[in-house]
Amino acid sequence: MADHDATLARRLLDPRGMSWSRHRFGEHTGEVEMKVEADSLPALFEEAARGLADLQAEDTSGPPTRPEERITLRSSDREALLVDWLNELLWRGEVNKCVYADVKVDRVDDHELDAVVRGREPRAPRTAVKAATWHGLRILPRDGAIEATVVLDV
Amino acid sequence: MAWVDRFTKVSEAIWEASVAARAGMRVPARIVADEVLLKQIGRDRSIEQLMNVATLPGLVGAVVGMPDMHEGYGFPVGGVAAMSLVDGVISPGGIGFDINCGVRLLTTGLEQDDLDVEPVLHELMRRIPAGYGHGGRLELSDDELDRVLEGGAPEVVRRFRLGEPDDVERVEGGGRLAGARAVAVSERAKQRGRDQLGTLGGGNHFLEIQRVQAVFDAEAARAFGLRLGGVTVLIHTGSRGLGHQVCTDHVRAMVASLARYGLTLPDRQLACAPFASPEGESYFAAMCAAANFAFANRQVLTHRVREVLARTAPKAVVRVVYDVAHNIAKIEEHGGQRVCVHRKGATRAFGRGDPDVPEPYRAIGQPVLIPGSMGTASFVLAGNGASAVSFASACHGAGRAMSRTAAKAQVRGGELRKELAGRGIVVRCPSNAELAEEAPVAYKDVERVVDVVQRAGLARKVARLVPLGVLKG
Repeated sequence: MADHDATLARRLLDPRGMSWSRHRFGEHTGEVEMKVEADSLPALFEEAARGLADLQAEDTSGPPTRPEERITLRSSDREALLVDWLNELLWRGEVNKCVYADVKVDRVDDHELDAVVRGREPRAPRTAVKAATWHGLRILPRDGAIEATVVLDV
Repeated sequence: MAWVDRFTKVSEAIWEASVAARAGMRVPARIVADEVLLKQIGRDRSIEQLMNVATLPGLVGAVVGMPDMHEGYGFPVGGVAAMSLVDGVISPGGIGFDINCGVRLLTTGLEQDDLDVEPVLHELMRRIPAGYGHGGRLELSDDELDRVLEGGAPEVVRRFRLGEPDDVERVEGGGRLAGARAVAVSERAKQRGRDQLGTLGGGNHFLEIQRVQAVFDAEAARAFGLRLGGVTVLIHTGSRGLGHQVCTDHVRAMVASLARYGLTLPDRQLACAPFASPEGESYFAAMCAAANFAFANRQVLTHRVREVLARTAPKAVVRVVYDVAHNIAKIEEHGGQRVCVHRKGATRAFGRGDPDVPEPYRAIGQPVLIPGSMGTASFVLAGNGASAVSFASACHGAGRAMSRTAAKAQVRGGELRKELAGRGIVVRCPSNAELAEEAPVAYKDVERVVDVVQRAGLARKVARLVPLGVLKG
């Protein structure tokens, strides 16, 4: 199991070809600041979901225990879409008693997202996350990739 | 110049920055602190956040930071802001996602020798669910949930017989906010919280068995039912997922309505709407409902404590000392004006003679409950009603001084668990990492924070409580 505070880098072979993404947790006195980097917007949103799950539970790498759920979201802008995406996963996770590390973003642009997710009931829950916030929220290009910063209320 | 350097000392433990300190500020910013705490507060972005709050429209007086203030999202944690009901706004971020997160203190009538802490904690852990598990919760029908949202703690006592009728007499506002409307709470919020009544939740939520180690004000302690050596129980939790979703829903709606009301903000988490607007009224009604859910939650947990002690320490007589919210907005009168006071990580601290203080405490002042960090002391104070200084508010805890990441780098959960055990403190926490995040070193010195509250005239010390056992959510 990876230390959830360490930078988690991953290379994934997916239908879009070689893609990379990573997340890390930064310094924040009261809450948790999550930084996510990826080479594409779909990969960024997928990694943000995995980062959230990584914070919520220690055992996210096992097989999903729940059936597929399709998520479609519409938001005012790209940053709002990221907050809505994470809050949707938090809501589903709390209602279904699971975390969502198995996620596939089929389509995402500045306003809309289509994704398929599968949940897993964690045996080793970690941090209870209340919400993704709008504080310090940004998605910016960085060194040929995309970087997002989002503060999670824990 | 750092933001902290814009503040000058104006009186004992009070610092102020004028509206000229930063562009856009509409009212001064005030911080209650001594030099040491002000320096600690200045290390993160909380002062910048307090100044951001000072840019909101319709503020009355100054925005106030408590001595336990630290960086939050939008509002700092430990922030107080009062808004005009006529031309002011209401901001869900000024209350927080955990609406009516608060603390309830119980006396047990026991001495330390009357109970064996470990089995009591074990039994409490079995009866009070935490995390993702099932069972033990109070499952509510749609109708029952709506009644709890509008009826709060008294509804739980009346409908489910979970508690004694006089439990709710010593709860802030009687454990029920009259402005609550169940229809203002979304179905998603109800779905999220439906099976969470009677649960502790994670993060810094806890249930602690304590001993009264010191009494500073004998008359007040007597009135509050506290005696030296007596065993108390402190419950710290809030409105759980239901409240989180109410805040999520309404921040989103208010972000969407900002342009319509001509509101420009330095931080979208400060999203707000005029108090007298459909969005403002809807949020206030939903927030009051979520607050009632939290009062009801602490009432159910009180009943669980009573059940467990009845089996494990039959001599116990459990009584509520008080129950305070520290994430809430309330309509109150200050300086002859009715205002909406936002308290985010701050406790109401009404003084002697205030009709909102329960009758048995009216000659003393409202009990102010200040939990310390894990393994350190908690305090009971009596409010002074310092309306002109802080809208009659005090701090809500020790206040974090260090990020969770930094705490885990310094402290090993397993070692902390052993150290606490060595001091006779039993800890039940499922994760060592979570335990390390809440280590005392990650918090400000609660003794200093409470002393500053007293020096600033916000409240006066009544008793110090030390932990015997902690159940972490």
